[in-house]
Amino acid sequence: MFKLSRRGLGLAATLSASALVLTACSGDSGGGGSDDKIVIGISLPLTGDFSEPGKGVQRGYEVWAEMINDDGGLLGREVELKILDDQSNADRVVQDYEALIAQEQVDLVFGPFSTRLVVPSARVASEYGMLFVEPAGAATEVFEQGFENLFYAAPAIADDHYNHLAEHILALPEGERPQTVAVAAMDDPFAQGTAYGLRDQLAEAGLDIVVDEVYPPNTTDFSSIAAKINDSDADVVIGGTQYQDAVNLIVALQQLDYHPQLAAFSTAPTNPEFPQAIGSQTEGILSPTGYTPDASYPSNVAFVETYTEIHGNPPSEDEANAFTTGQVVAAAVEAVGCAEQGDCQQQLIDWLRENEVETVVGPLSWDAEGRPQSAHLIQQYVDGEIKIVLPADAAEAEFVFPKPAW
Amino acid sequence: MSGSLLFQSLVLGVLLGGLNALLAAGLTLYFGVMRVVMIAHSAFLILAAYLAWYFNQQTGLDPLLSLFVTVPLFFVVGIGMQRLLITRLRPATLTMMSVLLTFAIALFIEGMIGFVWSGTQRRIQLPYSGSNIEFFGARIAVVKLIAFGLAAVSLALLYVILKKSRFGQALRATIQHPEAAKLVGVKTDRIAGLGFGLGLATAAVGGTALSLDATIYPSLHWHWIGPLMAIIVVGGLGSIPGTAIAAMVLGIGQSLLQVEIGTTWAQTLFYVALFGTLMLRPQGFFGGRLAQRF
Repeated sequence: MFKLSRRGLGLAATLSASALVLTACSGDSGGGGSDDKIVIGISLPLTGDFSEPGKGVQRGYEVWAEMINDDGGLLGREVELKILDDQSNADRVVQDYEALIAQEQVDLVFGPFSTRLVVPSARVASEYGMLFVEPAGAATEVFEQGFENLFYAAPAIADDHYNHLAEHILALPEGERPQTVAVAAMDDPFAQGTAYGLRDQLAEAGLDIVVDEVYPPNTTDFSSIAAKINDSDADVVIGGTQYQDAVNLIVALQQLDYHPQLAAFSTAPTNPEFPQAIGSQTEGILSPTGYTPDASYPSNVAFVETYTEIHGNPPSEDEANAFTTGQVVAAAVEAVGCAEQGDCQQQLIDWLRENEVETVVGPLSWDAEGRPQSAHLIQQYVDGEIKIVLPADAAEAEFVFPKPAW
Repeated sequence: MSGSLLFQSLVLGVLLGGLNALLAAGLTLYFGVMRVVMIAHSAFLILAAYLAWYFNQQTGLDPLLSLFVTVPLFFVVGIGMQRLLITRLRPATLTMMSVLLTFAIALFIEGMIGFVWSGTQRRIQLPYSGSNIEFFGARIAVVKLIAFGLAAVSLALLYVILKKSRFGQALRATIQHPEAAKLVGVKTDRIAGLGFGLGLATAAVGGTALSLDATIYPSLHWHWIGPLMAIIVVGGLGSIPGTAIAAMVLGIGQSLLQVEIGTTWAQTLFYVALFGTLMLRPQGFFGGRLAQRF
């Protein structure tokens, strides 16, 4: 027994010693800024629960770095990304950022993916006084932690996703305006956030909320909820949904021959699988979206072109939010003229508080807690294709109201 | 609740109950015949649903036609599983070890589905998936009606097999008293294998019925196994009619409760029923003579 454990100990010691040597080596050659590179530290969930979106964010960051280096770098210096894998683990992500900032002495950090990892890593960055721009973490709780260094690099937090739609509905002439609203939302902070943002604005304006249902994430049978909505004969149906629940709910509503004037569901309709699942009956369905490769912002056109060249398909929202993160940090660095730890970080933070940045998702600015001050685009299925219909200045097609029968 | 909503919910409850009965039928059969708690039953349901989806995807034909392949396939797989795996468990610990064994099989099937078809959520797109017929003011979705019809036919067939055929008699004898059945010349091992095959064949039908009106993904089976277990315990383990009645009662109950108190609470109905049954009448409420033994 004793002998065995001593051998184990010896092995562990050797391993950690060699690990130390290795890190020391890589520290010498890669980081520090001594060789005039700007090193950016990132931890991402490349394995584990969030690995799919995590890899998307990685692709976005890498395309950003490639494009900016092709363009002569940041402040004339080459950009290097140092990406660690946190295995979707909240403890690992904290260790990773500690290591990147304290030991590797990276110049800048970018955020990881998902609220669960953004909150702990933002805390580390905040302790070191680092600017922390993050591509994912739209839930309200992110902005209630009192972080003064955090900025969310997307158009809007969950509650504001439907703002353009709410505005449009409330601007309709009194006679055409819908009167009653049915809401069904998954018991999930993001899904509920989106639906309740719209529900509350409509309720405040005097519309009647006739159904307000919450269902657990594992719900598979939506016929009863659909029956309730159908029975209320609401003019508007709002779904605070992810993917499978939205599809099941929509089909259940169709099976009851319920035809609302307006049907809006979060997340699912923008998924490429959605029309395959629903078939020809998607006409008129609405959804908010943070990104579309078709948007005509100048930087987006270049981004989509380069990204498609490298990966063979256009970027989706995860890649775009990562790219946006890069753009936001780059704008601050170029404006302030520095990128290193220390006083410079505070200058970057201060600059972002006061300025607007042009990005692939449009111009972004933030409030004191880091909430972006825009709203999501509203997309609608028009003639079998999903198109931007709101706001008017970004629209690719006319907003269809009332919705044709599905 | 308005009258029309009440009636609509009742209709939906009956349809849901029918599907539940079909999905749970195999589960109660395994337990009745072999005292096997088959956690993988719902994984086989989802596998059948995926096969139906894949069949539709590849051929463009109606997914119901996939039954001609999946029912015999599952029957053979069931016999194989029983002969190669289940019989190797020691009788003294059979019930407990069968949980572990079939849990492993469920994980294997889930992993395999994910590996072959990825974790993307799938749905069979049928020209009639949104169609419905009117029934005294209520709406009945065509796909739900087909699923209900499949359930009714398979359960009736299962009942006739168990009641009328020689195999059914031998199976019931094996369920009631395996030792005595062996003494009068019933080859209980062979019968148990066929019984397991029969159970898995119902999973093929159930999974296909499910695929008509559900969005499927590899881990979906975990959402089903709990309610299905509750149904067979309430109905009386080993009894097909008991399972059908319990499934119907719980299906209607869930459907009505969802309207009245919301989905979150309505889902607990199955567990409340399970708890109540175990407290008051552990042999099940609708089991009749067969279930009295437990």
